Amino acid sequence: MGKKVQWRVLLILLTLVGAIAGFVLVGYARARKDMAGTGTPTLKDALKSAIKLGLDLRGGIHLVLQVNTSDALKAERDDAVELLKTETKDAKLGAVELPTDTSFAVTVTGETDQSKLDDVAKRFLSEWTYSTAGGKWTFTLKDVARRQIEDNAVAQALETIRNRIDEFGVSEPLIARQGKDRILVQLPGIDDPKRVKDLIKNTAFLELSLVEAGPSTQEALTANYPGGKIPDQFKLVEGKAEAGNRERSYYVVRRQAVITGRDLKNARPTQGQFGSHSVTFFLTASGSQKFAAATGANIGKRLAIILDNRVQSAPSIKDRISDQGVIEGTFSPEEANDLALVLRAGALPAGLTYLEERTVGPSLGLDSIKKGITASVVGALLVFVAMALYYRRAGWNAIIALILNAVLLAAAMALFEATLTLPGIAGFILTIGMAVDSNVLVFERIREELRNGRAPRAAIENGFSKAFATIVDTHATTIISALFLLQFGTGPVKGFAVTLIIGLLISMFTAVFVSHTIFELEYGRRQHIDAVSI
Amino acid sequence: MELFRQTNIDFLKYKWWAIGASWALIAVGVFTIFVQKGLKFGIDFSGGTQIAIRFAQKPDIDKLRTLLDGAGLGEIGIQRYETPEKNSVLIRVQQQEKEGRDVVGDVTKVLRQGLQTPADPNKIDINSEGKATLAARIAAADPDRVAGRSDTDPNSYYTQAADKVIAHRSELGIFGTPEQAASTEGISQGVKAWIQANTVTGPFVVLSADNVGPQVGKDLQKKALYAIVWSTVGMLAYIAFRFRSVPFGVGAIVALIHDTLITVGLLALLGREFDLIVVAALLTLVGYSVNDTVVVYDRVRENLKTPKKEPLETVINRSINQTLSRTILTSGATMLVVLALFFLGGEVLHTFALTLIIGIIVGTYSSIYVAAAIVVIWKDFKNRRKLAVVPAPVKAEPVQPAQPTAPTGKKKQKGR
Repeated sequence: MGKKVQWRVLLILLTLVGAIAGFVLVGYARARKDMAGTGTPTLKDALKSAIKLGLDLRGGIHLVLQVNTSDALKAERDDAVELLKTETKDAKLGAVELPTDTSFAVTVTGETDQSKLDDVAKRFLSEWTYSTAGGKWTFTLKDVARRQIEDNAVAQALETIRNRIDEFGVSEPLIARQGKDRILVQLPGIDDPKRVKDLIKNTAFLELSLVEAGPSTQEALTANYPGGKIPDQFKLVEGKAEAGNRERSYYVVRRQAVITGRDLKNARPTQGQFGSHSVTFFLTASGSQKFAAATGANIGKRLAIILDNRVQSAPSIKDRISDQGVIEGTFSPEEANDLALVLRAGALPAGLTYLEERTVGPSLGLDSIKKGITASVVGALLVFVAMALYYRRAGWNAIIALILNAVLLAAAMALFEATLTLPGIAGFILTIGMAVDSNVLVFERIREELRNGRAPRAAIENGFSKAFATIVDTHATTIISALFLLQFGTGPVKGFAVTLIIGLLISMFTAVFVSHTIFELEYGRRQHIDAVSI
Repeated sequence: MELFRQTNIDFLKYKWWAIGASWALIAVGVFTIFVQKGLKFGIDFSGGTQIAIRFAQKPDIDKLRTLLDGAGLGEIGIQRYETPEKNSVLIRVQQQEKEGRDVVGDVTKVLRQGLQTPADPNKIDINSEGKATLAARIAAADPDRVAGRSDTDPNSYYTQAADKVIAHRSELGIFGTPEQAASTEGISQGVKAWIQANTVTGPFVVLSADNVGPQVGKDLQKKALYAIVWSTVGMLAYIAFRFRSVPFGVGAIVALIHDTLITVGLLALLGREFDLIVVAALLTLVGYSVNDTVVVYDRVRENLKTPKKEPLETVINRSINQTLSRTILTSGATMLVVLALFFLGGEVLHTFALTLIIGIIVGTYSSIYVAAAIVVIWKDFKNRRKLAVVPAPVKAEPVQPAQPTAPTGKKKQKGR
C-alpha cells in the first residue's frame, strides 16, 4: 500500500508542477505578444496575461453584421443586362424590366433580331435560364449561380473586413462567418465603436468620372436633357453636403468611370499646406495608362472624385496626370487615415447591416474584474471556513482539494486558451461551491460507516467507494446541462459554460483521487488508528 | 461538528401539504406572468438598445429624458445604475422598426449636444474618444517632433501615450478637467501640453452599449428555449439510463420542471428581467435540481437492495434522512458562494445570483418533497390498483466501476 500511495503523491505533485509551469509559460508567451517588443514581461505581467479575457472583462467590441447579398445579386443582374445590350448592339432592344434581384425581362420589338438575342444569351449568359412569352424574354439566374454569388459576396466581405481590421491594428481580432450571410467581428481592447463601425461598413467604392454638367440643383440639370431624362451614358450623382448649405448640389457625370478603386495600388493620408487633411492615392500600371489617356484628352474639363456614389470633389484637369491623385475634403486626421485605409484594403462587394452590437468600455471591464475577484475570494473563504469548522482535519483535506481544483482550473483555462468572461468568473466560483459536494458526499459516508461501527480505515475506504457512483451522477447532470449552454456560440454565457465544464471535470480528479490520497497519507502508515478527525 | 446526527424525520407524512404549497407557489408565478402579460425580457431577447453611462456630476434624469424624448427613438427608459456615488445611469431604447439604425451613436450624440456647452470644434472630447483616435490626433500634431526620426515611429510612439491616458481615465472613471488628463503619469511634457490645449472633457463616459436587432433577439429566444427544453430531455435520458424506472424518472423530471417554474415565477414576481445570463443560471439549476434528486435516489436504490421487506415509504424516508446532512451542507456551501456573488459580484451578476439563490432553495426542497414524494405516490397508486403487492426493487445495476473493497448491500441496519 505504501508504494501505491507514493506513486499517487508523485502523480499529484507532477500534475501540480506541470499546471503551474504551464500557466506561467503560457503567461510569458502571451505577455510577450501583447507587449510586442516594447519590453520584457515580468512574472507579474505573465501571471496577469496567462488567461485570455473575454470582451466583457477586457473591454472591446462585439459585432454581428449581415451581408446584404441582394446587392451582389443586383450587380450581377445589371451586368447581365449591360452585356446583353452591348452584345446585341445592332438589334434594337425594347424596354428592360427588373422584377426581382435575380431576374430581368426584355421586351422585343419588331426590329429585334431574335436569333441574335438567342445566340448572345446562349453564349454569354450561361448562368441564366430564359423563357419567352408574348414578345417578352424573361431571364432568371440559376439557383446554383445565385448561391455561388451570395457565397462569394460573404466570403469577399469577410476578407475585406479582415484586411481593414488588420490595417487598423487590433491584437487578437476574431472575424468569422456565422451561418449563411452573417459575419461575427470581435475586437478586444478597442474603445472607439463609432470609428470602427464606420471603418467596417464603409463600402469605399471609388470612381473617378468626367463631369458633364454641374454642380447645380437636380431640376436645373435634368432640364438640359430632352424630356427631362438623363441619357443612359450619363448619371446624376449627389454632391457632398457642404457645411452651412442645406441644399445639396448635384453633378451629371459619365457612367463609364475613368478609373475605379480596383485600379488603386496604394493610398495614404497626407497633410496639405494649411494643415488640411487629404488622401493621396497611387495607381497600378494599367490604371495609370487609362488615367493618363483620359486626363490628357480632357484638359480643362472637370473630374469628379466619387466615393460611395457621392461626389467628394470635382477639380478641373490642369495637366495630364498618370499615376496619382488626391482626394480633398474636410477630413479630420483620423478620417483621412481611415479613408486611406479602406481604399488600400479594397471595396466591399455588398452593403452591410449591423444586427448586433455590444461594446464594453475599458473602465467597466476593470470594475467587473475587481468585483468578480472579490466575490470569488470571499465565497471561497466562506466555504473553506465552513469546511474546516464542520469536518475539522478532514475539512482541511477538502480545502487542499478545492485549492488544487482552482489552480488546475486556472492552468487548464490558460493551456486550452479558453476565454474567461464575467459569468465565467461566476462559473469558477460556482465550481468551488459544487466541487465541495463530492467531499461532503464522501465525508458523510465515512461518518456513517464510523457510526455503524466500522474500523477507521475500512470506513474511509467504504466512504470513497460507496460515494463514487453518486459523485459521477452529480457531475454528469451538471455537465449535461452546461453543454447545452455552449450552443449560444461566443459570448459571456459560453465562457460560463466552458469554465463550469472544465472545473467539474477537474473536480472529479481532486475530490476523489487527491482527497483519497491525502487520507491515505494521513492514516495509511499508522498501524493503529483510533479515530478519524472528521 | 455535526448538525444532523441520525435524524429520523417522517418527511413524507407532509407530502400532500408540500404538494399544495408547491402548487400555490407555481400559481403565484403563473398569475404574475399572466398579469404582466408575459415575461419581462432583457434586450438579449426583446431586441433594443441599452447604454450604461457614467457622468462626471450627478445626472439630472428628467433632463436626460427630455433630451432623448425629442430624438425620435420611441420609448425610452432611464434608471440609476450601480451605486449612487458613481453617477451612472442605464438608458433603454425600444426596438427600432428598421434594422440597422445606429441607436447608440444617436443617443450619445443627442446627450452630448444637449449637455455640453458648444466647444471649439478643433478640440476633441477626451471622455468620449478612444485611444486610437486620441493617438491619431496627437500624432498629427506631433508635439514631441518625432516624425522623421529614424528610431521612432510616430504612430506607435503616440499610441503608447494615448494608452496611458485612457488607462488613467479607466482608473478614475471619468476625467473632470483636461488638467486631470494631462496629469497622467509617464507621458511627455509635449503630450501634456497638447492635451491641455486641445482637449475638452465631455459630460460622460460610455461604460457599455448593447444594441440587439430584432433578428438576433428572436434567434436568441429560440436558442434559449431549445437549450432549456433539450437539457430537460438530456436529463430525462440520463435518468432513464441510470435508473431504468418510470416513477423515478417521472419524479426527477417533475421536480426539475417544478423548480424551473417556481424560479421563473418568483423572478417575475420580483420584477427581474430575463436575459442570457439568467438563462445560463436556469440551465445550471436544471443540472443542480437533478443532481440533488439523484443523490437521494441513489440512496433509495441502495436501500432497496437489502433483503428486508419494508414499505417503500419507510425506505424513502430513511434514505432522505441519511442524505439530509449532505443535502443541507452542499446546498449551504453553494449558497455561500452564490451569496458572495449576489452581494459583491456587481450589477451584471445580480439577477444571475438571485436566480441561483431561489433555485438552490427550491431545488433542495423539491428533491425531498417532489421527486421522492412522486415515487411514493406513484407506487401507492399502483398498489391500490393491485398491480403490485410489494414495492419492486429497482432492477438495473448501476454502471459502476470495479470496486473490490466495497461490500455494498450488506450493511447492517443498526438502530432502526
